[in-house]
Amino acid sequence: MTAAFAVKGLRKHYPDFALQDVDLTLPQGQVMGLVGVNGAGKTTLLRLLTGLAAPDAGSIEVLGCRLPDEQVAAKRQLGFASEDMRLYRGQSLDWHIDLVRRIYPEWDDAYARELIARFDLKPAQALGGYSHGQRVKALLLLCLSRRPRLLLLDEPTTGLDPVARAEVLETLCDVLRDEGRSVLFSSHNTHDVERLADSIGFLHQGRLVAHADKERFLDNWRRVLCLGAAPGGLDGWPELVHVRAAGSQVELKVRAWRDDLPQRLSAAGLTVQRVDPMPLEDIFVTAVRAGGAA
Amino acid sequence: MNFGLNVPVIRLLIVKDWQLFQKQLAAYVLAGFAALTLLGLAKPWAFYLGSLALIVVLVAAACFAIATSLLVERKEQTLAFVMSLPVSPLDFTAAKLLGNLLTFGVPFAVLLLGTLVVILTTPLPDGLVILALLLFGHVLLAYSVSLAVAMQVESEGWNTFAMIGSMVLINPFLMAIGQIEAIQGPLRGDAIAWSLPAALILAGQLLVSAAALAGTAWWQGRKAAFY
Repeated sequence: MTAAFAVKGLRKHYPDFALQDVDLTLPQGQVMGLVGVNGAGKTTLLRLLTGLAAPDAGSIEVLGCRLPDEQVAAKRQLGFASEDMRLYRGQSLDWHIDLVRRIYPEWDDAYARELIARFDLKPAQALGGYSHGQRVKALLLLCLSRRPRLLLLDEPTTGLDPVARAEVLETLCDVLRDEGRSVLFSSHNTHDVERLADSIGFLHQGRLVAHADKERFLDNWRRVLCLGAAPGGLDGWPELVHVRAAGSQVELKVRAWRDDLPQRLSAAGLTVQRVDPMPLEDIFVTAVRAGGAA
Repeated sequence: MNFGLNVPVIRLLIVKDWQLFQKQLAAYVLAGFAALTLLGLAKPWAFYLGSLALIVVLVAAACFAIATSLLVERKEQTLAFVMSLPVSPLDFTAAKLLGNLLTFGVPFAVLLLGTLVVILTTPLPDGLVILALLLFGHVLLAYSVSLAVAMQVESEGWNTFAMIGSMVLINPFLMAIGQIEAIQGPLRGDAIAWSLPAALILAGQLLVSAAALAGTAWWQGRKAAFY
């Protein structure tokens, strides 16, 4: 399958931050969620993928275009919206639509009108009078109505109230029904990522600490509660990333679950009380604290 | 380096800047006409007030064009939106330079033309044409240097320094050319008397202005990406 984008050995250094050795591929038609705390490198990675920034090392190919040299050709086919992107406050949404429509021949006017109605936006009103949520929706409308093959969204739901967030997520869900469209979106909200993404990447301190299909993530990770005294050497088991003893209880977090693990724990003197799947947020926090691959 | 410009999008971005700022720039032109009206009265007090007002309007229009199209866009994060459109850094530079030259150039040209018409059609001495051209030449030079700095430096402090610093130099500049007899002498006469110093100063202003803008375009054109 052709990749929507592929990056190899990507590095970008700033005075106070460095993105290091990122290898990542998004197959066409897939949705990837990029999770990381503020300053993890999500925005830097997205800027590199749009050609706005040039890497210090490594290669970037987006929709068959090598970046940053072929950024114009790539940007014709992609939609990019970031949290730090603003529209002109003194101008109306109609004015912005007119500008963007003239640049992108694939602009879908009917879809734009549908989104205006769905988002309850006033197209003739100056954007200075819009709320933050309305401005985010306006930006998304300008991205989606150009029918991009690849959608790059940097923190699309940050700062939105619950209603606006639900509307944006529902619209993104609709967009994702189009199997030809690929999406990469970053967020520090793991619930959004869990809801939308086919695959998930964890970025931390400029490094991609984990990347896998969502189902694999959720299948592999388990929280195990045991009774007994934690035997020595448990920290060294490769599938365990977290071992914490509290009284007679031992909490384990497992990153590579295997069905024979309870038996092995019993053999080591622990009685397994319960095994629970882990929510993505817990997986993210555990993986980041472990600092290694999941 | 890719010199293939995306001309249709550059044209749209220039039109965008024109649409964004045309009302304010029209207001500057109207204020300039008011200043020219005072100049045309050809009375000492009116000439003093009119020339002062004209300088203020020119400086304000120059600073407004640069500040709104680059510094405010950077501060309000609308530049990120523009850069996300299918443009290369060279396209963006071309659009910003040409857009600025249009948004400032139109009021500048209208006011220059108006000033020359006022001098030549009122009792004011025609010799003032040389002074007017040198004055407009200085504003053009200060504008070009400030625009070049704004294109290349993100620091608000340095940009403010470049704009205010270059514009306020108009006062010592006028004092300095007042000390050159070959320029000062013919100002009150009815003939437009070009002297070698006046011609050299004007040529220098135009050359440095062009060099500042060309150097900026060349430097920005070398960049592969925006960040």
